[in-house]
Amino acid sequence: MIWLTWRQHRRQALFTLGALAVLAAIMVPTGLAMHAKYDSLGLAACRAALGTAPLVTQTEAVARCESLGHQFQDQFSGLVFVAVLFVVLPVLVGVFFGAPLVAREVEQGTHRLVWTQGVSRLRWALAKFGLVGAITAVLAVGYALGVSWWFRPLAGATTGRLAYVTFDVQGVVPVAYTLFALALGVFAGTYWRKVLPAMAISLAGFAVVRVAVEVLARPRYLPAQTLSFAPTGTQTPNPAAGNWVMQQGVRNAAGELVLPDAQIGPCPPAGCGAGGGDVGAGAYNWLEYQPGDRFWLFQGIETGIFVLLAAALVFFALRRLRTIA
Amino acid sequence: MELAVQTRGLGKRYGRTWAVQDCALELPAGRIAALVGPNGAGKTTLLHLLVGLLRPDAGEVRVFGRDPRDVLADIGFVAQDTPLYRDFTAAELVTMGARLNRRRWDAPLARDRLARLGIPPDKPVGKLSGGQRAQVALALALAKRPRLLLLDEPIASLDPLARREFMQTLMGAVAESETTVLLSSHLLADLERACDHLVVLQQSRVQLTGGVDELLDTHCSLVGPRAGSGSIAGVAEVVRASHTERQSTLLVRRGDGPIDPLWTEHGVTLEDVVLAYLAEAGARVPASAWEVPA
Repeated sequence: MIWLTWRQHRRQALFTLGALAVLAAIMVPTGLAMHAKYDSLGLAACRAALGTAPLVTQTEAVARCESLGHQFQDQFSGLVFVAVLFVVLPVLVGVFFGAPLVAREVEQGTHRLVWTQGVSRLRWALAKFGLVGAITAVLAVGYALGVSWWFRPLAGATTGRLAYVTFDVQGVVPVAYTLFALALGVFAGTYWRKVLPAMAISLAGFAVVRVAVEVLARPRYLPAQTLSFAPTGTQTPNPAAGNWVMQQGVRNAAGELVLPDAQIGPCPPAGCGAGGGDVGAGAYNWLEYQPGDRFWLFQGIETGIFVLLAAALVFFALRRLRTIA
Repeated sequence: MELAVQTRGLGKRYGRTWAVQDCALELPAGRIAALVGPNGAGKTTLLHLLVGLLRPDAGEVRVFGRDPRDVLADIGFVAQDTPLYRDFTAAELVTMGARLNRRRWDAPLARDRLARLGIPPDKPVGKLSGGQRAQVALALALAKRPRLLLLDEPIASLDPLARREFMQTLMGAVAESETTVLLSSHLLADLERACDHLVVLQQSRVQLTGGVDELLDTHCSLVGPRAGSGSIAGVAEVVRASHTERQSTLLVRRGDGPIDPLWTEHGVTLEDVVLAYLAEAGARVPASAWEVPA
């Protein structure tokens, strides 16, 4: 079975390795440039000095750290769009590896050849799914490690690791997405049994599930925390905390949101002028956020969701396989 | 007598339509059997049930007394249109067979066979002719050294020359072994000379089954005066009757005793018998389905 699986998929495997090599040839130089710039600006040290408390006192150091972050962003912000490419990579595995795995056999009738040899259909399926899955997992781990390394300075200098897109290409979730995409492709191939429809369905299915989990589920893995601080004080949200801000604004004394997406203050170290302005007395800055230190917890939860979905899809694909003739 | 294939009340359904229904079949080991029936009669479904690709919805199927999936190693199968991995070379397909048939695989036999047929070992089989591909598929099935060989319309898509060569190879191969063969076709003429057993399938049911000699012995054609509906001495069953103004021609199954001397007996060919059974059970779409008067 190992020989057969390798013989059938070696061209795909070599193509994939080639594509990953090309990708690495682009990512390594840009990644090294970003890391070098990040270190030479002293961003790492400056952010470390700020700590991870949700609020810090507005000082020269905070302002300087923010301006260094902006400098870094000005130079490299275009690369954030490259990250979108990394978000798309897992679905290609589902479309080009997963969907044809069973569908192509059925389309060309070769399942009748291979399932009537001395190996049972279940063993054929387990060996094939297992081998393709294992190779995919290894490639995905390499890809996840590489992208995490590449993206770290960009995430550090900008919105933090929990933000959309940033979260999706770092840590362990890219591996889970890839396995899910593969399982979805295999499942679609056993249900529709034609390569093209299976490809289309796995593409659409992946997009729907990913967006649904990202937009509907992820912000609710844990209740968001809120933070209030006075507009006349010297406190400001810590840019180094990596918090994922869901909502912010200025609320009046009655607690109504009067200025959405705004913040008053902080006062310069020299002191405030006439604070409050037109929002009335007793107004305060308000912030709803997921703390940055929940990164690995959220990664774990999201990985669990996608690995479970993948396992369920493989189970249903195996069950469906028994009815194909 | 060992039975290679035995089915009882076997049925397979797609949605609400039965593709094979109430099928009782016994194929003694060592026979070379033709599975004949028009397109859509259920031949492929029956073969898929026998090789375990399909599970029955009714009844049971036994191959050498066991579930087909338990004796996969003993069954050689060549599916319709002889599917092969088209980018594999013939040599790679032989290797694949060795990997997938750990228990028994006669690679030298396959190589020898392919060499004698002049099949190039290093060319993707997708680039071979249809006849050569069929030969490769047959060589792979034979390399399993199967006790039962099932072939689904193996020659339907071949030209006449390739047909003859394929049948020659097949007959040569099974003559050397004790292999039981069941091969399907919608054309009896292809198989008539080679087979010693017959299964006629029509509209999902087995219409006729038995040894060829036995079938020829027990059937005959009678010509006589325009018959009434009365029974004829020595005739067990009138399979098919055709009438002209003055005389009737009947194809009958013999009963006990001599046939009424009023009738003239003629011998029949296997094709006469098969066509008589097929015509009798032929598709009958009511005229109302076409919205025309009957």
